[in-house]
Amino acid sequence: MSTSFIGTSPNRVGGIDRVNGLQEYVADIRLPNVLEAKLVTVDCARARIISIDASAAMQVPGVCLVMTAADLPQPMPRFGPQNEDRPVIAVGETKFHGDPVAIVAAETKDAAAEGARLVRVEYEELPPVFTVAAALDPAAPLVQDPSLRGNDPLASTNVLHEHRVGWGDVDAAHADLVVENSYSFPMVTHFAIEPHAFMAAPDGDGIAIWSSIQHPNWLQKIMAKLLGLPLAKVRVFAPDPGGGFGGKQHTKYEPLVAFAALKTGRPVRLILTLDETFQAVRRASCEILVRTGLNTDGKIVFQDIKADYLIGAYTDIADRVVGKGSYPGAGPYNVPAVRILARSILSHTVPSTAFRGFGNPQINWAVESNLDEGARALGMDRLEIRLRNLARKGDAFIPFDTPADGHWDQAVRRAAELIGWGKPLAPGRGRGIAVGIKSGPTTGLSQSTVRLLADGSVVVFAGTSDMGQGARTVLAQIAAEELGAPLGSVTVVMGDTAVVPYDQQTSASRSTVLMGNSVLAACRSVQAQIRTMAARLHGVDESQISVDRGVVRMPGRNLTILEILKPGLGRLGGEVIGNGEGRKEAEPGHPLGGAPAFFEFNCTAVEAEVDTETGDTTIVKHVTVSDVGKAINPLQVRMQDEGAAIQGLGHTLMEHYIFDEKGRIRNLGAIDYRIPTSMDLPLEIHSETIENADGPGPYGAKGMSEGALLCVAAAVAGAVREATGVFIRDLPLTPERVWRALNERDGR
Amino acid sequence: MQTFAYQRPVTLAEAVALLDASGSDARVMAGGTDLIIRLRDGSAQPKVVIDVKRIAEMCPGVRERDGLVTIGAMTVMADLASNELIRRHFEALAEAAAVVGSVQIRNRATIAGNICNASPAADTAPSLLVYGAVVVAEGPGGTRRIPIDDFFVRSGVTTLARGELVVAIELPVPTHRRVAVHLRRTRRRGHDLASVTLCCVIDDTGTTRLSYGSVGPRPVLTTDESGVLADPAAPEAAKAAIFERMFAGASPSKRSMRAGPEYRLAMLRVLGSRAVRTLVERMAAEWPAEA
Amino acid sequence: MDNTLPIEFTVNGRRQAIRVAPHHTLLDVLRDDLGLTGTKECCLVGECGACTVMVDGRIVDSCLMLAVEADGAEIKTVEGLAEGAKLTPLQQAFLDKGAVQCGFCTPGQLMAAHALLAENPHPDIGEIQEGLAGNLCRCGCYYQITEAILAAAEEGVR
Repeated sequence: MSTSFIGTSPNRVGGIDRVNGLQEYVADIRLPNVLEAKLVTVDCARARIISIDASAAMQVPGVCLVMTAADLPQPMPRFGPQNEDRPVIAVGETKFHGDPVAIVAAETKDAAAEGARLVRVEYEELPPVFTVAAALDPAAPLVQDPSLRGNDPLASTNVLHEHRVGWGDVDAAHADLVVENSYSFPMVTHFAIEPHAFMAAPDGDGIAIWSSIQHPNWLQKIMAKLLGLPLAKVRVFAPDPGGGFGGKQHTKYEPLVAFAALKTGRPVRLILTLDETFQAVRRASCEILVRTGLNTDGKIVFQDIKADYLIGAYTDIADRVVGKGSYPGAGPYNVPAVRILARSILSHTVPSTAFRGFGNPQINWAVESNLDEGARALGMDRLEIRLRNLARKGDAFIPFDTPADGHWDQAVRRAAELIGWGKPLAPGRGRGIAVGIKSGPTTGLSQSTVRLLADGSVVVFAGTSDMGQGARTVLAQIAAEELGAPLGSVTVVMGDTAVVPYDQQTSASRSTVLMGNSVLAACRSVQAQIRTMAARLHGVDESQISVDRGVVRMPGRNLTILEILKPGLGRLGGEVIGNGEGRKEAEPGHPLGGAPAFFEFNCTAVEAEVDTETGDTTIVKHVTVSDVGKAINPLQVRMQDEGAAIQGLGHTLMEHYIFDEKGRIRNLGAIDYRIPTSMDLPLEIHSETIENADGPGPYGAKGMSEGALLCVAAAVAGAVREATGVFIRDLPLTPERVWRALNERDGR
Repeated sequence: MQTFAYQRPVTLAEAVALLDASGSDARVMAGGTDLIIRLRDGSAQPKVVIDVKRIAEMCPGVRERDGLVTIGAMTVMADLASNELIRRHFEALAEAAAVVGSVQIRNRATIAGNICNASPAADTAPSLLVYGAVVVAEGPGGTRRIPIDDFFVRSGVTTLARGELVVAIELPVPTHRRVAVHLRRTRRRGHDLASVTLCCVIDDTGTTRLSYGSVGPRPVLTTDESGVLADPAAPEAAKAAIFERMFAGASPSKRSMRAGPEYRLAMLRVLGSRAVRTLVERMAAEWPAEA
Repeated sequence: MDNTLPIEFTVNGRRQAIRVAPHHTLLDVLRDDLGLTGTKECCLVGECGACTVMVDGRIVDSCLMLAVEADGAEIKTVEGLAEGAKLTPLQQAFLDKGAVQCGFCTPGQLMAAHALLAENPHPDIGEIQEGLAGNLCRCGCYYQITEAILAAAEEGVR
């Protein structure tokens, strides 16, 4: 019998092509007759478009098309995953630095670039708002025309939405100590090494679209609506993205490219430069005011949180980020009274979108840091205060919602043990510890098909996007496990809406659970058909036969699936097809649309050393422990957690957009936007998992991959605080910022 | 980027003539690691790009003769960093070359390109200054030897005349024992443009030469012959006074994205102190007091 | 007006004689003219290393090299590492140690690792980190990449 694949770390499915250069990303696909495209933008944050003169551009040999708002359907079609507020291209006004006003399509990249250079845009600079304060000023210009906001009572403000979460009575609560502080989280960008790429081609009476998109079906739906086509006439090819992290979830320039393709009758391809990706996607920055009420025994009495998220000029999925991210903002603790007001604030900046952590890291930074301050004021150990308040499994820590679904204290204790919490520290060093929580998917649907072929090999059709997290491998492992197939004989087909069944999205760390359960269900369907076959072949009643993990058990004997399949298919051959779904229904009335299927819980502990003359922070040791239910592929889990930790160190220590006084981004590109390199790693990293098989996914798995990013900042700042005494409330903790804080500490 | 005419002269005379004739219509390309970025972002739009990598007189290599070490203009950073002669006599230059960008950059970036680009943050500049380098330039008027301190004017500007090319850099072999170190401040440990560069050399007469960059329009060279900085027993106040004088030439940009001016000035002092401390310790270890 | 120049070079052991525009980089020509799309385009300023190839035995950022500069050179790209379908021990180690997530930076990482091991067959962790500092990985595979290189080094082959 085959050994179990679950809990092993077979090599990445799809890995070979990634190491021999044959993996095809969108930018590697060159269709015959394709036109290369280039975007035209104006160098300001906000401008009134007066006129666009394409005549010089059209003279460039090879330029076939210069398309502007005037060439698109009137009124301008708009789209967006939450609100349909985003125009296919800027119309009348550009709303952020990098908002395109035209697209040029030409025979060659050179011609497209030259054409773009020669498009003459006459514009009038308008005053932009690009900070929370500026956007909230009563005299501020409105980022979105009220006509786009429907019946929204806030339509005459730049507050897109207010999210209120709470329970108990914060104002009536009595606390021995109240700690109140303001914190800020910077604006950062995804910086996937693959810049976004889009291609569209007329396809008979429909259209074919290639995109680095994480949600192919969602893109298909939006494109069908925009183009007035049936879904079945919109084919989305979604090659594995070269890194997504949320920045490739939602439709961006596919509609523009599609209109250009339909206009020219030819394929059109747009590959963004890295600089342009900074102007396409980012995380929301945030200003958070936290009031934490504590009693002298360390119990949290209340949390009163105000979080203002600066989102961009269009909603994208940003408001969902704010709502979902702030919802568990009080943390994985039992807190009797909570009041959270989280606001999405529009600004003349790049539309913010999903980014690993989905609104949680911002609030986590503030709430965990504030808890540290409370512990200090009480003279209580920062580990102790967390354990004292941590929700236990089954606690309704968010009332009427999914209860705490893990033994979270195990992760905390393990992290504390690994970091050596409480052991003596070398001089100049400090330790920090923090916990983070994020809600998994609240609703969802993933459908899949599994085909068991005549020789026992398997094809899995699953619409998940494998952007590095290894979904392909995990799904192959599940199919191999359930059908008793060698892993090397399982093929996973993804990324083609004409061939692969519906998957709502790849996000929220949902795929192992939702698509995993879907594939599991499809395999069960195949197993049921095998059982029927076995009953027929061996003259045994079905009720006496069970098929599990590749083994067919009946009275008196056990057989492999293959031993049933071959005779079962008989002379005509054929295959066994199973369909399955992973479904989480919406719960009307729930503020998030549904209670989370699971929580991602993580504890991060850090030991750091600060060079007090320069402000440099060295992470000496980084510990991350995640509660994952079951690691179906432990190596991939470890890679995700370490990767998330490193990404978290990015916004903690070095990443931030720098604006000029006119709202233009100064540090576009890789030279002045710093992300961690191989030389910026913690000197030691330990990542572990807690596995109690208590998740809703296959074999008790939960989703993971965002948890290890959530509380990095608070853990690091806590360590810096212990090492130096400085309490810094704004990220990133660049050497200069730490140095300034040290100066203030010393009264310099 | 926009296109241009590409020329690849094989003799110096050809290159000089071409450069002289083209004037500001031409850009010289050495390793290309600065130029190609400018070509792409449009800050350089030459009609002609003159690739000088195949010119024999400029070829890479480090040679010693008659008390002079000559570095060919096209010597790349990677080779400077690993070269035996450089490491022996001009260790701080090897240290500086070793931190320019990444391995990929160091395999292409040339020493001539680094100084001709004349970024105030040029990593090789401080060590070339403290070591008293001389730039050998060839032009329509013949050969000129330009002391490196007379070479830099301000960001992007050198004293090269029209038609002149740097063919080599000469460094005098030291006649005294000396110790040197190159330090820099960056925003992360990984490769980065420097917010402060500093090179310090102390010789066995107690003379300290200190050069710093990225805190003003060009790198600055200062010297102290009092011996105070080299003296392990000197009081901090005395050293501080010397540093004050040395760093008086710093005027960091207020607009820089990499670091603010107060931080840069403070780091200048930190790097200066650390450099001197390191060198004093090394002197004590390497040159035991004569009996 | 044809502004192209003739160049000859060897790519992965095969001689190529082509005409290139002077302003096209080696990266452009490898990807667009020769169809070798294994080498990737990302930052275009020599920071990220996604475009790393070997030129005459040394790794360079191909986005910062004009194609004309490669005239007469021997180029090696990621497609030239494996011998036919047989992966090198380094490539296999990348797979075995989980050094590949999204894979977009992988070609560049492999070229840098290949060059490092050619020069230093038994690097320590610090040397590996320095040798690959010019290759960004946003997925954060750095530790696994280091382990892969150590494993390949141990095997004694590149």
